[in-house]
Amino acid sequence: MKALSVQHVSHAFGDHRVLHDVNLDVAAGQVVALVGPSGCGKSTLLRAILGTHPPNQGTILADGQPVRGPTRNVGIVYQHYSLYDFLTAQKNVAFGPMLDETSILYRTFCLLKWRAKRRRHLEEAVCLLEKVGLGEAIDQYPSQMSGGMRQRVAIAQALIMKPKVLLLDEPFGALDEATREELQRMLLDLYQENVQAKREGRQPPHTIVLVTHELNEAIYVADRVIGLSQFHSGGEQGATIVYDKAAPVFDTSQPKDLAALVQQREELRRIVFDPDRLQDRDEYVTFWKDEAGKMSEEGNHQ
Amino acid sequence: MIRQPIKKRTAILLGVASICLLVMVYGWLSWRQHRANPKDTTIPNLSQFVEGWKRITTTDAAGDVWILEDAAATYGRLALGLLTGVGLAVLFGMAMGCFAKAEAFCLPPLGFLAKIPPTAMLAVYFVMVGTEMKMYVAMIALGIFPTLAQAIYQAARNDVSDHALYKAYTLGASHLEVICCVVFRQILPRILESVRLQIGPAMVFLIAAEWAVADVGFGYRLRIQSRLLNMNVVYSYLIILGTTGLLMDWLLSFTRRKLCPWFGE
Repeated sequence: MKALSVQHVSHAFGDHRVLHDVNLDVAAGQVVALVGPSGCGKSTLLRAILGTHPPNQGTILADGQPVRGPTRNVGIVYQHYSLYDFLTAQKNVAFGPMLDETSILYRTFCLLKWRAKRRRHLEEAVCLLEKVGLGEAIDQYPSQMSGGMRQRVAIAQALIMKPKVLLLDEPFGALDEATREELQRMLLDLYQENVQAKREGRQPPHTIVLVTHELNEAIYVADRVIGLSQFHSGGEQGATIVYDKAAPVFDTSQPKDLAALVQQREELRRIVFDPDRLQDRDEYVTFWKDEAGKMSEEGNHQ
Repeated sequence: MIRQPIKKRTAILLGVASICLLVMVYGWLSWRQHRANPKDTTIPNLSQFVEGWKRITTTDAAGDVWILEDAAATYGRLALGLLTGVGLAVLFGMAMGCFAKAEAFCLPPLGFLAKIPPTAMLAVYFVMVGTEMKMYVAMIALGIFPTLAQAIYQAARNDVSDHALYKAYTLGASHLEVICCVVFRQILPRILESVRLQIGPAMVFLIAAEWAVADVGFGYRLRIQSRLLNMNVVYSYLIILGTTGLLMDWLLSFTRRKLCPWFGE
């Protein structure tokens, strides 16, 4: 089941071509990292997926529905949190269900029903905040929280909506190293929930597209790494996906497999970030072929 | 050092000292004036103030208590004018801050209107709506409206990030909810602060209008009593006006602290 499908997306700002024929399918339950050199159009692609800045050409489908504007199907966590200053952590997280499940008229004229719903929303918010390690800070306003705490609230705020696709736009870019690692482990825990769901035959709950400039983070957190770059043989047309491969899957309880991490990082540097090494754009886009091969291999073993 | 903080106690003592200094300077001026002319009324002394206070709080020959009828007239006009002006400013400011078409349509005339001194518009209001309540409401409301609407528009444009708006849509908000639950709530403290700043001008516009055309109200009484050189009444009214302004300012500040505890001081 495709949670996200980007089909032949191209975009230009005037004469400046940014994206050229970008194609990308993300299956439900995948954690995909999108990396690329500065100015390659990562943010443009992300905004197109979010629906705030539609592309000049191409189609984007989220959960099979064309994206025509920001909707609850696609969640977003920004680098600078974008929490609502006027709400406490708990109310920030409960804000989504309130907006999604009720209208202003309902909240004004169906007070008793609204109160019951509100109680449930606030309880759900507390559960999620506890899950992201902020059980003690539910009554704090964003201005009273550290950057790491705010980003946890922002993640909880997005997760409570159970979006079909969750976009993370350089979510840890403004954080110190220790906090960044803590939050990376939190993402790995979300990945483990996906694995657990698949094992139990359930739909994996989290489909995540993470935009980052940190290659280590991309490989560590994601199970698939995509490189968007203008450094390919048709680069004058704009950036496109030049790298799409599986990433080693880490477990938070295990030490990092640094060898695997370094190997893929060097490959990414070479393929995606090196302006002098222009190659056929499809040469390293092998994720789906690899997956198909893996599945047929598994089938043969059975 | 610049911006070196001081203790709260020191701040209070300095505040009290400044008021004492003001009273002492006034007392000295009054004493000096009365030494030269014991019947002087331009800088009244304490006994003249008591006499003036009695005059404004007791029934006159026509059976009216000045302070009550003037306060009812002036405060009624002020409240209605402020409510209308703030309501209009919130409506237009929010619309301009949220919708580019409203911004393009309303901003040029607002910028022009904001540059016309409201007291100079008195003649226009006088001709258009007469001298009844409507004229005072128009004077205050249209006097504060352009500046306040521009302040609210700026806050709606600059204090709410695009990301906060996009995120609200991803949380399932409708356009109306984004306006009411995100933009309005985010800029509410700015609106209250801007209204605080407009209390002074609103009172200036009202007193000017009352001075010119009213037959009751603080402005009217100040005009009549200043002509008669009854400065004990004039100063008493000025103290009442100043206290009113301070009280309204404190009330709005209190409201902001209660409604927007996240905004800080």
